[in-house]
Amino acid sequence: MKQVRFVFVLLALLTLVSAVSAQTPDENTLVIAQSVDVGALEPSLVGSRAEANIFGHLFATLFEITGTGEITPFLATSYSISEDGTEWTFNLNEGLTCHNGEALTAEDVVYTFQRAADPANAFTGNTVGFVLPGAGYVDARVDGDLAATIILDGPQSESLRLGLLSEVYIHCKDYYEGLTLEEAAEAPVGSGPYRFVEWVRDDYLVIEAVEGYTLTETTFDTIVWRVIPEASTRTAELIAGNVDIIANVPPDQVNAINNSGIAGVQAVAGTRRIYVGFQFGEAFADAPGYEALQKTEVRVALQYAVDVETICAALLGTECERASSMVNPPNSNPNLTPYPFDPARAEELLDAAGYPRGENGVRFETVLQGPRGRYLNDAAVVQAIGQYLSDVGVQTTVEILDWSSDYVPRINQKNVGPLFFLGSGGSTWSALYDMTDLSSPTAGTNYTNWMNEEWFSLWDQAQGVDPETERELVNQMLEVFYNDPPWLMLYFQPDFYGVSTRLDWQARRDEQVIVYNAKLK
Amino acid sequence: MGKYIIRRLWQSVIVILGVTVLAFVTLHLAGDPTYLYVSERAGQEEIEATRQKLGFDRPLPEQYFKFLGGMLQGDLGTSLRARQPALGLILERLPATIELTLFSMLLATLIAIPIGILAALRRGTPLDGGVMLFAMIGQSIPGFWLGIMLILFVGLGLRWLPISGHVPFLQPLFAGDFGTAFGSLPESIRHLILPAVTVGVFSLSRNARLVRSSMLEVLSLEYITTARSKGLREGTIVMRHAFRNALFPLVTILGLEFGFLLSGVVVAETVFSWPGVGRLVFNAINQRDIPLVQAAVVVFSFIFVGLNLLVDIVYAYLDPRIRLS
Repeated sequence: MKQVRFVFVLLALLTLVSAVSAQTPDENTLVIAQSVDVGALEPSLVGSRAEANIFGHLFATLFEITGTGEITPFLATSYSISEDGTEWTFNLNEGLTCHNGEALTAEDVVYTFQRAADPANAFTGNTVGFVLPGAGYVDARVDGDLAATIILDGPQSESLRLGLLSEVYIHCKDYYEGLTLEEAAEAPVGSGPYRFVEWVRDDYLVIEAVEGYTLTETTFDTIVWRVIPEASTRTAELIAGNVDIIANVPPDQVNAINNSGIAGVQAVAGTRRIYVGFQFGEAFADAPGYEALQKTEVRVALQYAVDVETICAALLGTECERASSMVNPPNSNPNLTPYPFDPARAEELLDAAGYPRGENGVRFETVLQGPRGRYLNDAAVVQAIGQYLSDVGVQTTVEILDWSSDYVPRINQKNVGPLFFLGSGGSTWSALYDMTDLSSPTAGTNYTNWMNEEWFSLWDQAQGVDPETERELVNQMLEVFYNDPPWLMLYFQPDFYGVSTRLDWQARRDEQVIVYNAKLK
Repeated sequence: MGKYIIRRLWQSVIVILGVTVLAFVTLHLAGDPTYLYVSERAGQEEIEATRQKLGFDRPLPEQYFKFLGGMLQGDLGTSLRARQPALGLILERLPATIELTLFSMLLATLIAIPIGILAALRRGTPLDGGVMLFAMIGQSIPGFWLGIMLILFVGLGLRWLPISGHVPFLQPLFAGDFGTAFGSLPESIRHLILPAVTVGVFSLSRNARLVRSSMLEVLSLEYITTARSKGLREGTIVMRHAFRNALFPLVTILGLEFGFLLSGVVVAETVFSWPGVGRLVFNAINQRDIPLVQAAVVVFSFIFVGLNLLVDIVYAYLDPRIRLS
């Protein structure tokens, strides 16, 4: 009798437990899982791609960068540039409103820029840390109800500046002026096609389509952004049908998703340039291999030493094309072909450069530093590169460092090398954007301390010229970069997205997850 | 007794201060956190400006005493990333972690006691061997691996339980919304089971071994032999005479079990996407959100020290020799 009772209790428990909750999204709801949450709902604090994905739906920008790299009108219909290139006037659409019904006018655009730049607000992140200084922002003023002028510090490439200014999320003055910074960081009122509904920190964030939004169409009424930090859990939720899109699928889980019948993986060549930097800073003068690496011939020789295709196939789980320059296709110099993997050629060039193999088979020793946990399978890739270099006689010691506590401060202080592994975000819309890493010998992002006079002279010439001249100058610069390489160019990092089979959506190259026009199949 | 409590309170304050100093120094030893709050393309000027905005340009003792001064007034600073009061962020997330911790503790205790007793009563049998094998595996299995396996087999394969996520119970309960709290209780429990097993399996295994060995020890004592010789039924001997005494060691460690489990939830919170304090602190450490980490250290110190203090006071109450020494 006791045994029968036990079986009944067990069955009852199993029934209770197996009543799986209806987590599968309905046809009006799209669920996207990312590994990290937004830090705050403050448009001027956005600092990561995961945050930009959400804010890109809540807040509109003056112009919009499409997945294929075109910069198209959005809140603004057009813009004009003053003769000296320092004043950009944006003309807004009529009848725009923020989500609280407040009219969106030139005053709001000006307020957005001024609020972001105000030191009293102590904002950090992309807008104040990169966009405004990158575009040379000085101030902004209202030139009419629908005309906002951004004042800048000098001429610059038009496409570069337009793209930069298109990253600023416009918000309404009256609403934000009435809030403290703390309040604003909890209750965003945006200008984009979706409005904020609910946020449970580190759990989920819900947005819903704004009725009657005229600037773009929206397919789904509701988008839920779930935070699932563990990649295996994201994959499991996708395969279970509870999530429609996941980002950062690890290569080892691609087959599991593709074989599930519930979802598939889209692999795209991202815009992030992955490279090995050669350190020119004199602080490294005593470091092993420094002297050899100063020679252009040695740096060119090492371009032939690394089998990038095999690294991609074996360690990144996909085929990838080796980069020919620091600029993303299709904006790169079409006349440049990537260096092939040819270790014999590498050895030949190293011999010619005055570094023959010694009795122990070593030409010279050096150190390659790299991070763990920042880029796709980074530590393994760094070790593979170290081995390829050792194979041609450049005895390479690999040092893997923690990304946030160790590597980031070193990188920003240009205290890495003599060889260092790094990725740098790129774009689909401007060659010069991709080249800003090396905008001057002292630029914060010139981590190699590279000093090629021809390159920097051409850079200055390329600012504020017509697009055709800019193209010619860019091509010349990329030839300089190719022949006197400060980087050992590797690949554009592949990005893997898991996408439900119920969904018709194409992943973009620029790591942005924009789903206005995603549709059900 | 009063003097004893005052002395222990003073010691607790010193411990908390010591912990804050240690946390502060180690966080700053790990490098300048400014770099995590600027764009990867920021120049030196921007980095310097951000350093000033965040207050990291001030001397370390000044930064520490500013934090300490705020702490004495109940202000544990503002999170750099969330731009919200750090204490508020922690308290907002604490209910989810407490739910997980308490449920794990409940599982670890309620399952450990019967299987520990059974193993002791069947010493040397396959049942005993099986329980000990389970306990050994449970203590050596890595939490993140177990969590992922549970997701794959129970969540995804069998579809018995949710794969990840959280349905709050304590939060609406504390807010006085009893309808929501109890209405969602079944869902809350279903979401709790897999993470709680992941968190609690180590404690469960350890407790089972403890109950078994304690039970074996008690069962070998003379008063049990006497009880048997008087002809008492085995069930009565075990439950009435042996069980109570065998539980003392378990009761002793249960006081500290909560703190132990509380510190072990980070992995489960990450694997199961559980929005608790563990993940909050883990992310804050990665992002070098120093005010938030400091605040968490203080809150955790209070919880740990408070629990220890409580246990010590109870001991002193039960055994006067402790307070006299």
